Amino acid sequence: MTALQDTVLVLLVLSSFALLGASRLGACIRFVALQGIVTGLLPIAVSGHGPTPRVAVIGATVILIKGFFFPHLLTRAMREAQTRRELQPFVGYVTSLAFGVLALIGSFWLDSRLNLPIHGASDLVVPVALATMIIGLFLIVSRRIAVSQVIGFLVLENGIYAFGVAIVRDVPALIELGILMDVFVAVFVMGIAIYHINREFDHIDTDRLTMLKG
Amino acid sequence: MMHTGWILPAMVLAPVLLALISLLLHSPRAILRLSAFGTLSTAALSGFAVWRVFRQGPMFAAGHWFMLDALSAYHVAVMMTVFSVASLFGISYFREETADGRFGRRQSRRYGSLWFGSLAAMMLVLVSNNLGIMWIGIEATTLLTAFLICVHVAPAALEAMWKYLLMCSVGVALAFTGTLLTAASAEHASLHGTDVLLWTNLRDAAQFLNPALLKAGFIFLVVGYGTKAGLAPMHNWLPDAHSQAPAPVSAIFSGFLLNAALYCILRFLPLVEAATGHTGWGRSILVVFGLLSVLMASAFIVTQCDVKRLLAYSSVEHIGVMTLGFGIGGLGTLAALFHMLSHSLCKTLAFCCAGRLGQVFGTHDMRRITRVLSIAPMWGAGLLGGLLVLIGSAPLALFTSEFLILKAAMDRGSYVVGGLFLVGLAVVFVAVLRRMIAMACSPAADRTSPLQTHRAESLLILTSLIAMLVLGLFWPPPLMRALAAAANILGGAL
Repeated sequence: MTALQDTVLVLLVLSSFALLGASRLGACIRFVALQGIVTGLLPIAVSGHGPTPRVAVIGATVILIKGFFFPHLLTRAMREAQTRRELQPFVGYVTSLAFGVLALIGSFWLDSRLNLPIHGASDLVVPVALATMIIGLFLIVSRRIAVSQVIGFLVLENGIYAFGVAIVRDVPALIELGILMDVFVAVFVMGIAIYHINREFDHIDTDRLTMLKG
Repeated sequence: MMHTGWILPAMVLAPVLLALISLLLHSPRAILRLSAFGTLSTAALSGFAVWRVFRQGPMFAAGHWFMLDALSAYHVAVMMTVFSVASLFGISYFREETADGRFGRRQSRRYGSLWFGSLAAMMLVLVSNNLGIMWIGIEATTLLTAFLICVHVAPAALEAMWKYLLMCSVGVALAFTGTLLTAASAEHASLHGTDVLLWTNLRDAAQFLNPALLKAGFIFLVVGYGTKAGLAPMHNWLPDAHSQAPAPVSAIFSGFLLNAALYCILRFLPLVEAATGHTGWGRSILVVFGLLSVLMASAFIVTQCDVKRLLAYSSVEHIGVMTLGFGIGGLGTLAALFHMLSHSLCKTLAFCCAGRLGQVFGTHDMRRITRVLSIAPMWGAGLLGGLLVLIGSAPLALFTSEFLILKAAMDRGSYVVGGLFLVGLAVVFVAVLRRMIAMACSPAADRTSPLQTHRAESLLILTSLIAMLVLGLFWPPPLMRALAAAANILGGAL
């Protein structure tokens, strides 16, 4: 089973790196959709001898929401805002990629120090999850367009989800679904906010939302 | 013994039901009345539960997933006071806007449903024994209150809302990582499956928790929930959101939303303290964040001209004071709990009066809000009186708790902490007093006709102010017992 797990984890990291380097929003949305599907496969891959119905249901829900519903919402927000690419992010793409590499190295180092209980999952899980979380945070602070910031938030969520899968077994299904529900509503609310911001300001460049200071 | 298992779920479900009803109503006036009436009846229901908890000990429901103990019961009491007062003020705040059509059916439905929705979410935070459900509740408050900021869609309100949404979602996501690490720390505590996230189980097994993981988790939790609580340096969203929201909403933001997030941190404090062998590791983190918030807020208050932003920074300061009190422990815990009650009530009053004055003067700029006592006597008295309490004038309520926290710090020999705390309070005192004198005495601009005040409004303002004075002079024995019982849960017994 480790082969499947490692494939999933490598895909998770690669999609984060792709996001760090992509400038066109359409591509970003496709990468984050891919990452969502991969995240949904992770609990199935980790659960050694065949997934229980509970794991299968949660995995399927994650794939459905993160892989299909969110990208659909984001694409609509992008169309309405008529913004196709990120305008001059605060940090350039090459620097961003370099940061991603550093984040990955840092996560491996942190994992070797932390010694988290991973219950027989692949050794890669924790470093990959940490790196995804850091890259997600980095995307939020380094991008200017509201849609890109939401994408960063989704990457952060995926990282946390992977982290949870690795270190906590048997989280009650009710809670997992509740959490998923919250993320779902969060992205939905952010979508509506983007719609309003676009209508009032005629752009979704959050760097130019500077009325409130001090 | 009467069967009371239904009461905790009912406390969460009643507001949900009221939220749905307010979506069906047509006139803004009816929705405002429902918001006041519904809040008061939820308060009555939860008041009964709180009374029972203080008489007979903790209540449980739904297989220990719901719990109301002294700590959460005390928070419920504070929350329902804030919501009741703010909903009553809401009726008079929106009266003019209803008359000129700015607060129409759309806005009022949004306001009513989200008002009860956020009440339900905060109630869920307080009554859940399951740390995962508690997290879900906090995240839900962020999402529900986001649109309360822009009941009136305007550019500045949208900017505030985006900042709030993004910063708090990220913060709360980090808090979730902390919750996961806490669950992982219970690996050797022989807790399985559903049990692992129940607070009562973790408390009973605290000495078997893995200290290293719990410490890492606690840092994530303080930063994550601290963002939502408005602790510096994660407070940037707070002044914007508080200043752009309608006054009754600002009141519940300052009066309870921040406390709800702080409550989540408090739940983890006894676990960390027990697991690290009561060395004060967790408390010292709270001291650092609390002190930083007091000092940073005092620096921003000096230059503030907008009255609602001033009140918002004052909330950062007071959340800092409470965090500091909880960090110091012992007498500090008791004082911080009392500080929470009086700050919430007083800030609700101040925000509602400031909002009403803002409508009268057409601005929140304190340089243009002048002669408040002759133009709008009651509202002016409410704002100035509220500010007087907030800056900690003796012998009013907040003075007592700040003095006790200072005493607790000095008793423990933390002179540097006590000294810095005093510096922060002194700066705020002088800066706000200067603004208050200007608002009371500067020559009037053009309006001279005094504003009519409803008798009910005057009564509400006066009652709140008198309560602040009375609580400063004397703690009624039931309150004292409630404070002691709640402090006991945080390991702060005297």
